[in-house]
Amino acid sequence: MVMGSIKIGTDVLVIGGGPGGYVAAQRAAQLGKDVVLVEAEELGGTCLNHGCIPSKALISVGDLVRKVSDAEDRGVKAESVRVDFAKTQDWKQNKVVKRLTAGVASLLKTAQVEVVRGKAKFTDSHTVEVALNEGGNAVYTFKQCIIATGSTSVNPGFFPIDGKDVVDSRGALAFAEVPGRLLVVGGGYIGVELGIAYAKLGAKVTIVEAMEQLLPGTDPDLVAVLMRKLRRLGVEVFTKAKAGGGLNGGKVRVEDAEGKVQEIPADKVLVSVGRRPYTEGLELGRAGVQTDEKGFIPVDGQMRTGVAHIYAIGDVCSPVMLAHKASAQGRVAAEAIAGMQSHADWQTVPAVIFTDPEIAYVGLTEAQAREQGYEVAVSKQMFAAIGRALTMGESDGLVKLVADRKTGVLLGAAMVGPEVSELIGEITLAVEMAALVEDVALTPHYHPTLSEGILEAAHALLQNINKGAVH
Amino acid sequence: MAIEFKLPDVGEGLHEAELLKWLVDEGDYVREDQPLMEVQTDKAAVEITSPVNAQVSQLMGAPGDILHVGNVVVVFGDGKAGTVPGEKEAEAAVAVAAPAGTEPRAAAGVAVLAATEAAPATVPGGRALAAPATRKLARELGVDINRVAGSGPAGRVSAEDVRLAVGGTPTAIPTPATAAPVFTPAGDVIPAAPTQAQAAARAPVVPGVAEERIPLRGIRKVIAERMVKSKHTAPHVTTVDEVDMTELSAFRESAKAMAAAKGVKLSFMPFIFKALTVALKEYPYFNAAIDDERQEIVLKRQYHMGMALDTEAGLLVPVIRDVDRKSVFAIAREMQDLIERGRAGKLQPDELRGSTFTVSNQGSIGGLFFTPVINHPEVAILGLGQTLDRPVARDGQVVIRAMAYLALSFDHRLVDGAVATRFLNRVKELLSNPTLLMMEAM
Repeated sequence: MVMGSIKIGTDVLVIGGGPGGYVAAQRAAQLGKDVVLVEAEELGGTCLNHGCIPSKALISVGDLVRKVSDAEDRGVKAESVRVDFAKTQDWKQNKVVKRLTAGVASLLKTAQVEVVRGKAKFTDSHTVEVALNEGGNAVYTFKQCIIATGSTSVNPGFFPIDGKDVVDSRGALAFAEVPGRLLVVGGGYIGVELGIAYAKLGAKVTIVEAMEQLLPGTDPDLVAVLMRKLRRLGVEVFTKAKAGGGLNGGKVRVEDAEGKVQEIPADKVLVSVGRRPYTEGLELGRAGVQTDEKGFIPVDGQMRTGVAHIYAIGDVCSPVMLAHKASAQGRVAAEAIAGMQSHADWQTVPAVIFTDPEIAYVGLTEAQAREQGYEVAVSKQMFAAIGRALTMGESDGLVKLVADRKTGVLLGAAMVGPEVSELIGEITLAVEMAALVEDVALTPHYHPTLSEGILEAAHALLQNINKGAVH
Repeated sequence: MAIEFKLPDVGEGLHEAELLKWLVDEGDYVREDQPLMEVQTDKAAVEITSPVNAQVSQLMGAPGDILHVGNVVVVFGDGKAGTVPGEKEAEAAVAVAAPAGTEPRAAAGVAVLAATEAAPATVPGGRALAAPATRKLARELGVDINRVAGSGPAGRVSAEDVRLAVGGTPTAIPTPATAAPVFTPAGDVIPAAPTQAQAAARAPVVPGVAEERIPLRGIRKVIAERMVKSKHTAPHVTTVDEVDMTELSAFRESAKAMAAAKGVKLSFMPFIFKALTVALKEYPYFNAAIDDERQEIVLKRQYHMGMALDTEAGLLVPVIRDVDRKSVFAIAREMQDLIERGRAGKLQPDELRGSTFTVSNQGSIGGLFFTPVINHPEVAILGLGQTLDRPVARDGQVVIRAMAYLALSFDHRLVDGAVATRFLNRVKELLSNPTLLMMEAM
């Protein structure tokens, strides 16, 4: 136990033990640095504890229920599928989340990273004071620091979160029971993913989105497929609508696109209107680290902040908040600290949304490609024509490929359908390797698999490009 | 199963070679290590040997073609004792490792540095097409990958392209066939610059054309570049003196029979090398180089003598290493071998590298004296004129002596005229007195 004014020196101090911070700490230690990692809560950050992992656990249970009860046309009669949600939560927490966070702890131990439990704040550009969870303070001086404090849910004034019936995603993942009626404010990926999961687990779900489509910014071709499924699942969707004023007497006031006001009954409300960088209490100013008007910490290609020996990675430095991106940035920062020529210069970071059906995209969309001046060629392949999709009973969806007509270079892909969260990996690699559409088309794909959707789309696109060349 | 054999890297930093001739025919069965072809790099003619026991199914290219490292040059054919049996039929083609000690290079073609800041690849986003590992390599080598023209499909930049870009001597991609013809003032039309394939062939003689155009290639091109570099870099001064070779001539005559018994032809050169090493050890600044980049003088402790050699293809400078530690016979024997192989175009690139001082013996052809150009980055070069019987004054008498002119060109950045004269005096002293030379050089 270190108290008061004793200073402990370290090479690298990492603040935050999420997928950015712990990967950075591990990598820096592997490269021979003394590393201290400060984390106020559980290792693994939002992703492992309150985000990606627990949500995917609930989503997969929802899928399981839905699959069993929705297969009568295939001769499967599930007389009564009952969900013991307490057991589901116990499984999610103890068999999934805890196992992973324990794994992170053991990785860090193996790498000889010292993990300090507490909340850090800068006192100057080389010193951090940690208010230890066990009481007291510890002071660390560092040669280099990596800020990986992540993000937190936005608590909007128009619909304040109370932590009981009006919750953020963290609260929604921890519901003790499946709510009878769940209203979701904000139709971004978090709201739609959780809304679908709870709908499958038995809730009557309503999603209210202010923009004109769910998942704003996502290719409308993909969202159209999602909307069909939402209808079948009985999820009610309001777009260009406003919810406000909180939960009053079991009802939420929603103004729809036409301006008509409705009172929607709800037992619980999930407010998922976005996330913001989390830097409260860090006292960044004392270290000389600046933030922009939205609170993000600007960084260069090696993740350096304006203060050369202080780095920032993950959600705290950009609005594209993805765990895998944070990890990749963490590696870059750690390697830059070790003097390596690492750089965050990947072509693209894939995005995956675990809705039903899943949505995934990578690289440029058709619209982005046009904006950047490409002569764009696009192909679409429906999963309805792919044998494997039919055998799975999940044939609604498509693969869309985008290429540069002049060179045949593959620029991006967007997919909606079964398991596209896995399929997107192929195109991510292809785009990163600067592959031609032809490279993908000439690569044998296993039959019968969903990946044939990519193959067929590539062949169609190749034909499209070649036809263009004749004119 | 077809096996594609790609032109291996035939020497450090070389990435193209001219195909001189095929040593096998299509349909021939070849053994591993059997010579397949002879190519001329910018330094030497090199034989490329077969990596496998197989039948030759296709020879890619004709004598005169410029081949790039990584180009497929020979296709070995169909299940005839191929040493790389494929497990699956799908493996239609397998690249075979290059002969021992060299690395096969995957990419065909050469890289160029784009003339402008804009990315040469046709990517509107201005981002070069390259795999993550290639990008990393470029960062590590300090190359701006967006300025490297890729040799891959759609201009994809390969690791090889990046490495070539580091070399600093990027080679321009040959002008495509669309190059415009040249109109001379006389109104004659000269065909456009030859394409890659035509380049090495003799330029066609067009009736009525007053000049013939031959692409500057291979050894000639290297000589041109080196001479310009030397003259541009080192301020040359040449100091000339004459040396009495009478006694050394007599000494050499007396040793000729001994040499002949060993199968060695004894010229003046081994003695001159020996005399030089003695003088170089006393005047270390002449066995040196300037590291222009680091602004340091590099004094060399090895005595590797370059010897200017006239060949049909042009000037070559084969190197005899560690002359100070070799006998006169050994030097003579080695010299003879280098001359023979040099004239036959058979020297290996590393036999043409690494000299610390060079001698140019013009005297074997004729001439009184000349001002040699320093073999950059060395500091000096000794030019040797013809040894002739001439009347000279000795003790107030005119006598006939075997005289030769010595011309020492030196880099005035590193050595001054007085030192050069003292150095040359010492060389002269040693050459005119074989007894002294033997005593000093032993």
